[in-house]
Amino acid sequence: MIINAELFVNDSPGQLVGSIEPISLVNGNILAVVHNRDRIVDNRILVNVTFEVDDRQLERLKDLWKSKDVVISSLGSVHETYTMNYILIGDVNAQYIEGLLRKINEATTLDQINVSYSSKSVKTASHTSLITVKARYEDNLDKIDAILRKECKLANVTYVRGV
Amino acid sequence: MKAFICGFGTIGQSVARVIKEKQDFFKKRYGETLTVVGALDSKSYVIDPEGLDADATINAKKDTGCVGEKRYKDIKEALDAVDFDILVEVTSTDIKTGGVGLDNIRYALEHEKDVVTANKGPLALKYKELTQLADEHGRYLLFEGTVGGAMPIINLNKYDLAGQNIKSIRGIFNGTCNYILTKMDDGQPFEQALKEAQQQGYAETDPTNDVEGYDSACKVVILANSIFGRNATFNDVEITGITSINSDAVALAQNNGMVIRLIGEVSPTKLEVAPRLIPRGHPLSLPGTLNTAEIITEYAGPITVSGVGAGGLETASAILSDIIDIMDERIGD
Repeated sequence: MIINAELFVNDSPGQLVGSIEPISLVNGNILAVVHNRDRIVDNRILVNVTFEVDDRQLERLKDLWKSKDVVISSLGSVHETYTMNYILIGDVNAQYIEGLLRKINEATTLDQINVSYSSKSVKTASHTSLITVKARYEDNLDKIDAILRKECKLANVTYVRGV
Repeated sequence: MKAFICGFGTIGQSVARVIKEKQDFFKKRYGETLTVVGALDSKSYVIDPEGLDADATINAKKDTGCVGEKRYKDIKEALDAVDFDILVEVTSTDIKTGGVGLDNIRYALEHEKDVVTANKGPLALKYKELTQLADEHGRYLLFEGTVGGAMPIINLNKYDLAGQNIKSIRGIFNGTCNYILTKMDDGQPFEQALKEAQQQGYAETDPTNDVEGYDSACKVVILANSIFGRNATFNDVEITGITSINSDAVALAQNNGMVIRLIGEVSPTKLEVAPRLIPRGHPLSLPGTLNTAEIITEYAGPITVSGVGAGGLETASAILSDIIDIMDERIGD
């Protein structure tokens, strides 16, 4: 699994390495490290590290950090999201979009949905709209695609999707 | 070897010119020439068993509107009037019935001729029948010029990517639509962009086949059948054209770092032509009249090719590669 951790380490030489070394000791793969000297709490500096590790090694990792006097501020899993854009052209108003989003939400779980409208037609009831969705699983995009395809066909709305 | 050119418009004339220009190449590679012994247009034909003079034939067509003085009631009369090995079938495309091109290809294959064609209609409608007919008669039916003009795609998959599973192909297969959408990126409304495409000679007076996505759909069918081994026809393709794309949609895409392009997509499970949102800088965001294709392969990952999708000499280049393919097999290189 991919983990993101916020750690606070003592502001003294060798401490940054000391916070990262335990990840290697549990066969983790470090993906990104940010050493943020702007955030200092109790003379400790923030280190934000993202790494890939076998989840069975997490407890051991926490123990290793504690033994090296590294304070764990937060620890959470990170997941990849899939983004897809859709433009709807036709007699599309906010109510219609709301109805579509409701159907999408009923069928699948999305991390994020953004809707924007073309500025030119914003004064009229119908818009050209751009829907941007973020989903955790690629399958969810297929479900959204199927819903939009069906609904847009019924409403005679042209639906342009991303690649 | 001897060739007969069926259809003597821009492409037919370009093929005649290219064959003339490549005589030294043929002599060097095969120890013999390729002679054009017959040419035919919608009204007339000309034959010479010793070989036609390409320049004279092209000039006759330009001066009189007819390739020859002999008229025919049935094309078969002309095809029977001279002995030849390869039929170059480049009559105009009819995507509803296959048109005369379909009859010509059938007739040639049944009469033991190899066929090279850039005519999409017959293959989009009767691919299986025609390839079976070619097999039954031990003939070649090659059609690189049907998809993407000069852009190599069918032979690229057949030879250079041989053995690999092709996961999908998606691309811009219609230069006219791409020209219109590129003009819309610059702020022109659809109607004005279409008019400009017609004035530039990129779009026909009746642009239906292009803007409704029918032309791209034919190419998608040909790719599906020839590369994915499917048994698809034109009616199997889910088609959305570009006529409903408005300036608002183009602007909305642009404001979010994207462009709209008419994309044909083919995979073992998908056959589609539709306008799609493409991130700016993506290989499929190409502007102008170029064609492009992104081939997702089993081992090589994505491979992108692009080239001029139409035009006499560009299509003739694809036809030339097919002719050479046949001559390699028949004579040996």
